[in-house]
Amino acid sequence: MKLSGFKYLVGQGTENIWKNKMMAFASFCVMLVSLLLVGMSVLLYMNLNSMIGGVEDKNEVIVYMDEDTSDEELAEFQTQLEQIDNIGSISFYSKEQAFEDLKENMTDYEMLFDSLEDDNPLIDSFRLRVEDISVISTTISEIGQLDHIYSVRAPMDFVNILTELQKIVSVVFVIVIAALVVISVVIVSNATKASVFMRREEIQIMKYVGATNSFIRIPFFVEGMITGLLAGCVALVITWFGYDSLVELLTGQINILSVIGMGSIISFRSIAWKVVASYLLVGTFFGACGSILSMRKHLNV
Amino acid sequence: MIELRDVSVTYSSGVDALHNVSLKINDGDFAFVVGASGAGKSTMIKLILKEISPTRGSISVNGYNLNRLRRRRIPALRRTIGFVFQDFRLIPSMTVYENVAFVLHVIDSPTKYIRKRVSYVIDLVGLQDKMQAHPDELSGGEMQRVAIARALVNDPQLIIADEPTGNIDPKLSYEIVELLQGINDIGTTILMVTHEHDLVRQFGGRIINIDQGRVVFDEVVGGNLIHEA
Repeated sequence: MKLSGFKYLVGQGTENIWKNKMMAFASFCVMLVSLLLVGMSVLLYMNLNSMIGGVEDKNEVIVYMDEDTSDEELAEFQTQLEQIDNIGSISFYSKEQAFEDLKENMTDYEMLFDSLEDDNPLIDSFRLRVEDISVISTTISEIGQLDHIYSVRAPMDFVNILTELQKIVSVVFVIVIAALVVISVVIVSNATKASVFMRREEIQIMKYVGATNSFIRIPFFVEGMITGLLAGCVALVITWFGYDSLVELLTGQINILSVIGMGSIISFRSIAWKVVASYLLVGTFFGACGSILSMRKHLNV
Repeated sequence: MIELRDVSVTYSSGVDALHNVSLKINDGDFAFVVGASGAGKSTMIKLILKEISPTRGSISVNGYNLNRLRRRRIPALRRTIGFVFQDFRLIPSMTVYENVAFVLHVIDSPTKYIRKRVSYVIDLVGLQDKMQAHPDELSGGEMQRVAIARALVNDPQLIIADEPTGNIDPKLSYEIVELLQGINDIGTTILMVTHEHDLVRQFGGRIINIDQGRVVFDEVVGGNLIHEA
């Protein structure tokens, strides 16, 4: 095909959007709603996961040391801890510090603490933060193999609840998103089928005058692609503004944020390129493929 | 040239649409194909356009052996044939000019040539002042003229007109046949399918009468005269 012929077909595809504006608008709306539904659900899922992750970061494992552990042994122990994978942060909590904190918290028993000042009954400890709580048992058993440990206290109930919550959220959202994708594919393909059906005669005429299938397909392909791309662009703008407004609204809700933690909400800018690419590519792909697949049977003339 | 040799078509429903049909239409001929509804006229057109294949027999059209023609070569065959439909089948979203021009775009003609040729052909059918009109702004006769211009624009060897006068008033029907005869005078083979016996009687020429899937009459007759089979 010559370049002028290709230009003509691309031009025809673009013009067809305007010429068949009602059907093009219907396809556009269907694709826009589908993209928004799926896109928003994915964003909600990502945020819920991030929030669960934020809570997960608040885990704390306490390693109590034997009473007679020397300062050198404590330093060596800390070095060994640092070599274990999955430990995010380590802080040493001395028995003196623990005693002071306890004293501050229990001011009514000040006399009792005064009498114990020379014979501190508390022990040194390390407070650790585990990065991935789903493998906390392995991490704890690795810690358990080290020397000078009196006991290890891990938040196992917290871990179990979070792991379960994560599983439920994942399963629910995978089902919801998969269902939305299936529904969207069915609706989009029906919309494009209706659009192509309205123009089946046009396709037949082209076949009768000797047009090849690719000659007939290209304008439909271009038309579907542009419609899908436009739907992707509008969906992107709506999502961007909607998302930012929602985050702004939540920023004013101190109570909610104190529970979920502001840091847990994903900022749109940090995922902007992914959202842009997803909307535009999915929109264009759905639009173009929908048109091509819908017209297959009309080409058999 | 169209040549059918002992062609039979039986549809999957069991209907025998054509039965041992043999006929030859030479280059430059003008032939009327007449017959009642369901006689097999449309089946014959479908065969010539390679929309269907015969159950038995062989067909060649404009040098293409349709029995051996591969699917991807069908567009090449159809580019040698201009087709005029009873219901015009113009693309409603395109202007008169665009409806005619797109046939030349199909064969990838140069833009300059398209402009020149389309204007010439539209002029030939007498619609030069309607070039930018859309089909819904035209009368039945005008729409059929556009359809003829579209069939003619790529200078095909053969034009098949399927009931071209079926949707227009009798006065305009004569004009359409005269237009087709004018095109035939410059060497294009014309095959006109019709059930309007009066029209055929008026013009005369080669008449092929199909009845119940068989050719029952195939002769050249003078104007104002027809031999009913």
